Amino acid sequence: MDRRKEVIARLANMGDELLEEIKKNEVPKMKVPQRGLNNVVFNQKENILELGDKKSTRNFMNVAHTKKFMQSVLIAAKCKELVDRDKTASIRELYYQLKHTIADTKENTFEGQDESDPLIVDLETMLGVLREELHLKADDKGTIIGKITIEDSGDSIDCSKLGRSGLAIPSIVEHYKFKDVKADYVLVIETAAMFDRLVEEKYHVDNNCIMMATKGQAARGIRRLVHRINTELKLPVIVFTDGDPWGYYIYSVLKAGSMALAHESRRLGTPGVQFVGMTMTDIEEYGLDKVTEKLKDVDKKRISELQVYPWFQKKEWKEELQMMSDLGVRLEQQALASKSLEFVAEEYLPEKIKKKKMLP
Amino acid sequence: MDVEVKERSADDLFKEFKEVSITEFFRKNKAHLGYSGKLRSLTTVIHELVTNSLDACEEAGILPEIEVEIRQIGEEHYRFFERDNGPGIPVGHISNVFAKMLAGTKFHRNVQLRGQQGIGVSGVTMFCQMTTGKPMRIKTSTGDGKVHNVKLMIDITKNNADVIEQSEYSEYWRGTEVEGEVKSVKFNLSDQGPFEYLRRTALANPHAKITFIDPEGRKTGFERSVDVIPKPPESQKPHPKGIEVDDLVNMSKATKASKISSFLVGEFSRMSSAKVKEIQEVIGKEKKEVKGLMVDVYKVDMNWNPRKLTWAQCEEIVKAIEKIKFLAPASEGLQPIDEEHIKKAVLNILDPEFQVVLTRPPKVYSGGIPFQVEVALAYGGHAGRPNETGIRAEVMRFANRSPLLFDTGGCALTEAVKEVDWKRYGVKDFENSPITVFINLISTHIPYTSAGKQTVAYEAEVVKEIKFALMDVGRKFQIFYSRQRREGEKEARRQMLLKYGTELAEGLSKLSNNSPDPKKIYKELIALVEEKIKLANELEMLEDGDEEGGEVPVEEAEAVGEEKEEA
Repeated sequence: MDRRKEVIARLANMGDELLEEIKKNEVPKMKVPQRGLNNVVFNQKENILELGDKKSTRNFMNVAHTKKFMQSVLIAAKCKELVDRDKTASIRELYYQLKHTIADTKENTFEGQDESDPLIVDLETMLGVLREELHLKADDKGTIIGKITIEDSGDSIDCSKLGRSGLAIPSIVEHYKFKDVKADYVLVIETAAMFDRLVEEKYHVDNNCIMMATKGQAARGIRRLVHRINTELKLPVIVFTDGDPWGYYIYSVLKAGSMALAHESRRLGTPGVQFVGMTMTDIEEYGLDKVTEKLKDVDKKRISELQVYPWFQKKEWKEELQMMSDLGVRLEQQALASKSLEFVAEEYLPEKIKKKKMLP
Repeated sequence: MDVEVKERSADDLFKEFKEVSITEFFRKNKAHLGYSGKLRSLTTVIHELVTNSLDACEEAGILPEIEVEIRQIGEEHYRFFERDNGPGIPVGHISNVFAKMLAGTKFHRNVQLRGQQGIGVSGVTMFCQMTTGKPMRIKTSTGDGKVHNVKLMIDITKNNADVIEQSEYSEYWRGTEVEGEVKSVKFNLSDQGPFEYLRRTALANPHAKITFIDPEGRKTGFERSVDVIPKPPESQKPHPKGIEVDDLVNMSKATKASKISSFLVGEFSRMSSAKVKEIQEVIGKEKKEVKGLMVDVYKVDMNWNPRKLTWAQCEEIVKAIEKIKFLAPASEGLQPIDEEHIKKAVLNILDPEFQVVLTRPPKVYSGGIPFQVEVALAYGGHAGRPNETGIRAEVMRFANRSPLLFDTGGCALTEAVKEVDWKRYGVKDFENSPITVFINLISTHIPYTSAGKQTVAYEAEVVKEIKFALMDVGRKFQIFYSRQRREGEKEARRQMLLKYGTELAEGLSKLSNNSPDPKKIYKELIALVEEKIKLANELEMLEDGDEEGGEVPVEEAEAVGEEKEEA
């Protein structure tokens, strides 16, 4: 509860400072930590991304900043109200709560959610508070299944008794309590299709593991859940994605954190995760050369971007990206179905995990 | 410029007539005289009449009031009226003015202002007669209580008036009214039509009041901007270096001298018998059969009768003159319009948001021919020329106040405008800006490229001088323009700050601890915004002060885009 008061105080303080500046005839401005490659530092020792201390000044008198400045204040005021009333809104709800036509104009305070979302992250970093502490959440994304019981707001949910669909992972998992965990490791899967395949094959039952699907880039909720399970339950985490730059980057975000949320890497990143596949060496190893896909221009561009990120400079990853670039192909998880539907569950994963043929 | 000009009697003026037959010459050379093309022919008709009126008024010391009307009476068939309040024409001289080629007062004096084109109003009579077979009607009075009505044509073989009707009545009125019919011509409102001709004439003659009624019945009045009559140009014999072939033809037909040599010495300044000899030598001889023998004879013999000179022979003489050195002509004859007068005329006719006018001091080109340049730049208002895509820049060319409407390309005046880097003066897209550039080239001899007298030859000294003048007005324009643009940007900024200010005030009220009244926050915010803008203005004025006289750099738009970085 103290934390709640603290968050309200920080928000109100931001307002007071701006009012004070106006009163003193000074141009009101706010300092926002920069979020981007030029203000992200890779901490090699801990294998996580950290936010640098570069800041941008958002100045109300500068016409290029004026609207953003006003929008930031509207968001902060709305968050203060949410925390005050102990309500939690989705970031989409927040957008609709704040969107209205500015008096005497045809202009809206916000023209799209893409205008409000980045300003929310700015506010988090500016005040040093978490999104959930601002009582904001994103939509549910991702699924978990396996022998783990989660206590959520007084209910106990056994994730092994939810049929084939598993439990949807919300954007905030802070309040989860874990019970009755019977698993050797966690397998995080990129695509929903592969997750479904493995559920049908009862991979998690046969191999005594918890499975999660990210369904694309891993959202905050799943990243936080992976982090908590790994650190609190001491379970190893293994990641299984497509063999392309996008899949590799999903792995990298789970492991080291992301640039956009570099300030939260310590809560969201899980440096201990390992990568099982798909790898470029799988093509030869499993005779998949007939089922590769040609790289598109965007893929090639993305590869060259990854090749310069400091957190992709490990020998194994440099080789992997180079090989992909040389071969000019990508390898989907589903390509394993060319062997047989069961192949991934019965041979590919068990063999690679057992032999520890994994990338760091 | 405020020179009192004594009114001279019309009889006095018309003593200077000379008579020669030339009608055949007109028929053969009408293209050289401005009667080529349907539009151009009509413009030339109006030009001749208006020029005649302006010159007559000026010489008589009268502030001109000119009215022109054009009515369409059939396919490519028009009737025109031209009236002035000039000195009128003594009855005995009416036929000389309107029905005798090369009989005008201009041909034996070097009156270079305006009337350089064509061969006067007799050419108009001639052209009407050729295209319609109808006479001209002239009504004129010198103000002596008798008004004369004359209908006349030209007797082509005798170069004499064929008076068809003549009458007289009593009325105290002074002026001249001309009415005639032309065919095979076309009226339109384009850059080269009579309307544009009159508009530009009004600009270059701010002392004249010109009214025009077009075939649609629309009446446009170009009001007088100044009440000062320009000093009539000094009567001066022409300088040989300034002579064009058609001038020489015209003058040779009108001379009474019996030999080419005495004609040249008598009609031109800086021409001596020694110079005539030089001309003779430069022209040189050719082999010719005389009485069965081949002998060397002069191609053009200076002892010949000047009235029998052909176009080709005149060309030989002009070519020879080009190769010979003459003493430079005197520069007193230059008559600029005057900066103040142009300013008033531009304001009157274009009503621009901004204008700047510049008259440069006299200079010489081609080793001694005096000339002077006047330029003006007008922006906004009625400046520029509208077309389908918007308003485009226009260049108004004048030679000795006379508008040059045709053959724009290749003209030194047009070239000079093109050679100016307008971007340096803040004009990003010159062609598509509401700008009128006015250039008046004044000279005892305008270096035309051809007898059409619509295109000024590329004389480096002239172009350089025009460019300097344009760059000068460009700099002045830039100061105005960048200030105007900055004002616009500042106002947009102010509006933006005020617009978001209300939202910000409400947001801040909710966000802060004590939630003060948003209206109060807004008030404080506005005070802050206004003060910061005021401060910025003051800074700017200080900077402007430093820029006086120097080259003003193109102002960069206020840095927008990325937020400022801080370590």
